[in-house]
Amino acid sequence: MGIVEEAHNVKVLGSGDRVTVLAHGFGTDQSVWKHLVPHLVDDFRVVLFDNMGAGTTNPDYFDFNRYATLEGYAFDLLAILEELRVESCIFVGHSVSAMIGAIACISRPDLFSKIIMMSASPRYLNDVDYYGGFEQEDLDQLFEAMGANYKSWCSGFAPLLVGGDMESVAVQEFSRTLFNMRPDIALSVAQTIFQSDMRQILSLVTVPCHILQSVKDLAVPVVVSEYLHQNLSSESIVEVMTSDGHLPQLSSPDIVIPVLLKHIRYDISTV
Amino acid sequence: MRAGLSTIQQTLTSEAASVLNHSIAEATRRNHGQTTPLHVAATLLASPSGFLRQACIKSHPNSSHPLQCRALELCFSVALERLPTAQSANSGGSPGLDPPISNALMAALKRAQAHQRRGCPEQQQQPLLAVKVELEQLIISILDDPSVSRVMREASFSSPAVKATIEQSLSSTTSNSANTAGPIGLGFRPIVAPVSAVAAPSPNRNLYLNPRLQQGAAGQQRSEEVKRVIDILMRSKKRNPVLVGDSEPESIVKEILRKIESKEMDGVLRNVEVVRVEKDFALDKTQIVAKIKELGTKVGAMIGNLDCGGVILDLGDLKWLVENNQTVGLAGGVQQQQQAVSEAGRTPVVEMGKLLGRFGEGSARVWLIGTATCETYLRCQVYHPSMENDWDLQAVPIAARAPSSGMFSRLGSSGILGSSVESFSPLKGFATTTTLARQPSDNFDPARKTGCCPQCMQNYKQDLAKLLAAKEIEERSSDIRSESTLPALPAWLQNAKAHDSDVKTVVQTQTKDQEVIWTQKTQELQKKWNDTCLHLHPNFHQPGLGSERFVPGAVSMTSLCNSSLLGRQPFQPKLPLSKNIGDTLQLNPHLVASQPMERTSSPPRSPVKTDLVLGRPKIIETKPERTDKERLRDFLGCIPSEPQNKLQDLQSNKLLNTLDIESFKKLLKGLTEKVWWQRDAASAVATTVTQCKLGNGKRRGTGSKGDIWLLFSGPDRVGKKKMALALSDQVCGAHPFVICLGSRRDDGESDVSFRGKTVVDKIAEAVRRNPFSVVVLEDIDEADMLVRGSIKRAMERGRLADSHGREISLGNVIFVLTANWWLPGNLNFTTNGISLDEKKLASLASGGWQLRLSLSEKTAKRRGSWLHEGDRATKPRKESGSLSFDLNEAADVEDDKAADGSHNSSDLTVDHEEELGLTNRLLSNSTSSSISQELLNSVDEAIVFKPVDFGPVRRDISNLIRKKLCSIIGDRVTIEIVDEALEKITSGVWIGRTGLEEWTEKALVPSLRQLKTRMPTSEESVVVRLELDCESCNRSREDWLPSSVKAVVEDGFCQKGSVFDPLGINPEVSSGLNGAWESFIALLTPTFESTSGTKKDKSSSARGVAAAIEDSSIEFGDFFKGPLPGKFLKLLAFLALSRLGVYVPLGGVNREAFVGNLDQNSLLSTLDSFSGGGIGRLVVLANQVNSSGVMPIIFSTSSLALPGTLARFTGISVLKKAAVALIPLVRPAAFLKTVLSRISVLGSVFLAILAAGPAVIEQTTHLTAFRGFAGTSVLILVGCATDTARKVEAEIISQKYKNIEFYEIDRYGP
Repeated sequence: MGIVEEAHNVKVLGSGDRVTVLAHGFGTDQSVWKHLVPHLVDDFRVVLFDNMGAGTTNPDYFDFNRYATLEGYAFDLLAILEELRVESCIFVGHSVSAMIGAIACISRPDLFSKIIMMSASPRYLNDVDYYGGFEQEDLDQLFEAMGANYKSWCSGFAPLLVGGDMESVAVQEFSRTLFNMRPDIALSVAQTIFQSDMRQILSLVTVPCHILQSVKDLAVPVVVSEYLHQNLSSESIVEVMTSDGHLPQLSSPDIVIPVLLKHIRYDISTV
Repeated sequence: MRAGLSTIQQTLTSEAASVLNHSIAEATRRNHGQTTPLHVAATLLASPSGFLRQACIKSHPNSSHPLQCRALELCFSVALERLPTAQSANSGGSPGLDPPISNALMAALKRAQAHQRRGCPEQQQQPLLAVKVELEQLIISILDDPSVSRVMREASFSSPAVKATIEQSLSSTTSNSANTAGPIGLGFRPIVAPVSAVAAPSPNRNLYLNPRLQQGAAGQQRSEEVKRVIDILMRSKKRNPVLVGDSEPESIVKEILRKIESKEMDGVLRNVEVVRVEKDFALDKTQIVAKIKELGTKVGAMIGNLDCGGVILDLGDLKWLVENNQTVGLAGGVQQQQQAVSEAGRTPVVEMGKLLGRFGEGSARVWLIGTATCETYLRCQVYHPSMENDWDLQAVPIAARAPSSGMFSRLGSSGILGSSVESFSPLKGFATTTTLARQPSDNFDPARKTGCCPQCMQNYKQDLAKLLAAKEIEERSSDIRSESTLPALPAWLQNAKAHDSDVKTVVQTQTKDQEVIWTQKTQELQKKWNDTCLHLHPNFHQPGLGSERFVPGAVSMTSLCNSSLLGRQPFQPKLPLSKNIGDTLQLNPHLVASQPMERTSSPPRSPVKTDLVLGRPKIIETKPERTDKERLRDFLGCIPSEPQNKLQDLQSNKLLNTLDIESFKKLLKGLTEKVWWQRDAASAVATTVTQCKLGNGKRRGTGSKGDIWLLFSGPDRVGKKKMALALSDQVCGAHPFVICLGSRRDDGESDVSFRGKTVVDKIAEAVRRNPFSVVVLEDIDEADMLVRGSIKRAMERGRLADSHGREISLGNVIFVLTANWWLPGNLNFTTNGISLDEKKLASLASGGWQLRLSLSEKTAKRRGSWLHEGDRATKPRKESGSLSFDLNEAADVEDDKAADGSHNSSDLTVDHEEELGLTNRLLSNSTSSSISQELLNSVDEAIVFKPVDFGPVRRDISNLIRKKLCSIIGDRVTIEIVDEALEKITSGVWIGRTGLEEWTEKALVPSLRQLKTRMPTSEESVVVRLELDCESCNRSREDWLPSSVKAVVEDGFCQKGSVFDPLGINPEVSSGLNGAWESFIALLTPTFESTSGTKKDKSSSARGVAAAIEDSSIEFGDFFKGPLPGKFLKLLAFLALSRLGVYVPLGGVNREAFVGNLDQNSLLSTLDSFSGGGIGRLVVLANQVNSSGVMPIIFSTSSLALPGTLARFTGISVLKKAAVALIPLVRPAAFLKTVLSRISVLGSVFLAILAAGPAVIEQTTHLTAFRGFAGTSVLILVGCATDTARKVEAEIISQKYKNIEFYEIDRYGP
């Protein structure tokens, strides 16, 4: 096993001709796909990996400079695909990973047959003519709270983001993975993500994109999906799911998994 | 040109040199005839986190996205493609020959050098070589190149803009570099680790690899090196490798020898024996020659053996060759002797050379293999100049271990350039590695060893680089001195030649000393940064960790000691004698003028630094500065003045002067009004506060300085407290937050219940609640060590860490520390048991007492006249001519002495000073003095409160009363103030909050007026007596003085005494039924008043939302009007019972858990355990209508049942409070607030209607069908409704996207 695979805890499951790469978002790790994977293994080779900085990766490998922009993660993704000699894949990116996938597919469009973006947002901050859902003060407070007491921040942030009950399994699961991150890394990653602005690159994407979105999501308003849909230069499709929260694949798998499967299996019709 | 190249490499820093090497390699790869600036630019661009790349991104006019650089990269590669390829003759045969540097690139390098030199004026005189071109300068000069800027223009980048960006970042480089964690923009200078120039092409190449991952791949690199060494061993000439490097060359040697011993090798190295000789040599140095001879015979025997292909002598670390010299050389001071010794040390070299020569020929061969650090190797070359030739050595530079960060992350693994970068020719590689390897080995890659955070690491490295540069300069200059005849190559690069060793030895001893110093320096530096990092680590992600430049000892002494003087100057004429100022005043004011000069004329070590001194200090600077400061303190003794950087402030001081003085005057007036007996202290306080507000206060390391620390010392507890109170009133218009650190809790107001919180938490909370308040920390001398420590830290850093480790900024809080001891300088400054006096007064004041004025006939009603008459006889006063005044004074010695003359305030000070000289009382012991010393150094100002002498105070009071009497009633009446009454008033005034003037106006004057109306006009000999009234003793505890004075006309004087109370001042007069009721009320009021009083105090200072709601909505008194008290009490009783119940063992109840639940949480969570978690669920704040859970329903249902009064408790305010209180430590951000208010208001109203609905329907229609709808069932109903609504909504949104219909939706399954 190569260094890259080892560092990213890459797992390749299932058998099939086509490759599906599942990429998790902020504060989670590959376990976020646990509900989805069993449905895929029969038809696909499923590649699971952890983003650098996730709790399950070695914090020594986290280079604060490399990961100060999302490009660093995109390079990681490409490195993994390169290492696994993947020639073409269906990329399922959740949250920030969706954008990472978008960046990666700009430099290597040949590697991606389509990108499925779940709860993706090109920019979290509000801007002129853009509603991302956050104001700078919100973010400042968020970062301040993170810096002040990471544990309590986790316990407050998890239910907010998942949008569930304090006691629900999803919240607890997310809290666990969130708290697994080393606090300073988590802060750095959060800053990178929330301050990122990927609107410029949307017009460079040439790979078909499927945009999935919870109807209620604290981090990503529904209008963002609309924005993505209109600004992606490639073909795109939006589906708004009746689920709740930013991690619907974890909190309401019964709604999300069928939708995901559908989007993985079927391409956008060119009729 | 080749010679030029190596010369040029010497002029570059390691980073720049490696960039150049990479560019040359790139040119080679592309088969170009020359290395041009384009190659360099392409190389610079290649690394994703590279400097140029970031600068380009930053300066791009339209977008700041990294991908824009792709275009630039492409343009460059196209441009490179167009370059002419080299002639076949040049490139065909020898791959080792690199394309020469083009003239354009040479010019660029020269430009860079010139830039670099211009940056450091100090080094103007230094020869060319002394200046190392840093990467940034290289980039700038490359950008100036016309070909590069043309290519950049093609990619729609403007090279001047990029250049400007870099230059800008150069000037602010290090201050901004903290932002590395932040967005793309600032701080793009990457962490530059000493990158090795030798990039090992790894077999499994991955373009996008995280460079850190390659740390794990070090093994591959190693194998490359092993291969290189073996190649050398195979050669016929120069075949004895010496592995030079700091990163464990031994391991490579071990690997090679293992291979050889296990016969893995082919060719000449097959069947080679290994002899390890290091241990033999290292043990006994005098025997080396003999040992070598012995070895010779041994080797001879081995080679004689037929199947032996040869012998490898493992010399190990070569340091034994030089250490010998070193030790002896140091021991022998005389040069002659030293020379002889070094001659003696040379014999082993000669011997070994002979040995090699003996066996060198023929088929059987002898190899040497050894390791050395760069230092050792250099020394070897110098001590044994012929060794390299004699021993046939070949130095093999061993690269540093994989770079810790990605300067060339892409390039290192061959990046966009596509194919492998060849490893460099040994000479070139050596050149770069040795410069790097100058760092002592224990400093190498400290990231792994020291565990610093990246920022600190970076700073450390920068510092180290600076130090390195400085050292290099020194060395170089000395080298050049000795070898001016030689070409400009430094000694260690040349092949050593036999040389006249005279000059050399001198030079070498010098460098040796330098080496030692250097090592110490680096270690110091490393330690410093480790400490800093340790200090900062918990919050190192904070901005402001910009690196600083450490200029040891560069802070001039003058600037240190006159800084606080500057701040004080405006006030000099006004200031009373205060110790600190006395000290500083002695300093020569002309230093002021010299200070700016000092600043600018101490030149920084490298051009990057020109802008630094003027800026505001950065947080990180605290450490080194403090050490500097400490060092200086040794020189200066205990001058409590600190450096101060605000030149601008100084310049604008004149402007501010007028403003200062006004605010100062205002403050002083306010303070002296309240604490009139501590005039000195008041003015000192006013001075300090004004100064600090203007930013001229003592600087304590942190840049932002809003907080002020005052130390009130001295025995006058009341004075201190009042001063703090007055200060708080003046400065922020609120009461101060008092925290008592000592065991003494005798003051009613300060008994803050800590309830599990530490003192520091308490302080933190106070600061958090109002960052503009005054916080009083009482009895700092009695505080325990921990508290004192954290307070001290807070003073130094301007931030306070509470017990949870969270830090809060101190904002603009004024901290007042009170302490009982004297300042150390004032040990002889003492009192005579005055604290006893104070205690007495306090006890006097504490008993309930009332005053009354009585009118009586002079002769008839005189008491104790014998005493007073005596008094009067001895001390006739000016006034006593017209008015016989009975003044009961304590017969103190001082009193008598100072009794003559008018007793205005200026006399008070005179009194004090006399007394201070006279008396002798030692309050402070040794420990407290040390504490005080350390506190004294940290606080902004220490203010001494002199002990109070009550004689003058009493006189003042009686004078005032008398004056009032005169003005109101006329001077024909005498007033007689009973001794006890006077004392009571004194104590009341002294301890209480009301000023004397205020009290007389409020309480005494009305009574006097009243008295006047009843005054018999005819009487001449009337005496007004002010005495204690023992009958009525009602007085609120808040006030130490009676709020009114009863006016009584004594029997016979006025018959209608009882009628005389038009204002109803005397409660006894207003008799009747009312009386009973009112006395009952009166019984209640004190307690209520006090509780509500304190509540209001808190709320006004806190200005919290909750408190504001409480204030506006519900009067506390209302509570006792309804039927509620009973219920409330009952509830409390139940709670108490439940507490007790904890101790009753019950089956099935986990007692520990229950106790824990009760103890660790507040009342609310205890209630929560009764509500089945209903309250706790409030915290969830899920974005649903029923986010507040069952609560609103319960509330609304119960609100139907309960009387109207209760309704006011329900609703949002309660919910809000509960929610806010229940989110521990997470700041209820504005977001939460809005969510709460949006959701809870509407949601609870909605739910309330729903809940009330069934009841209303039942009432009106008498249908019982809806009876089941209560509480939770309603919730379920609502849940279903909202769920449905959401589904519909999602469906509606989805309808917009038509594409979705192209799916075969029905088929989910495969």
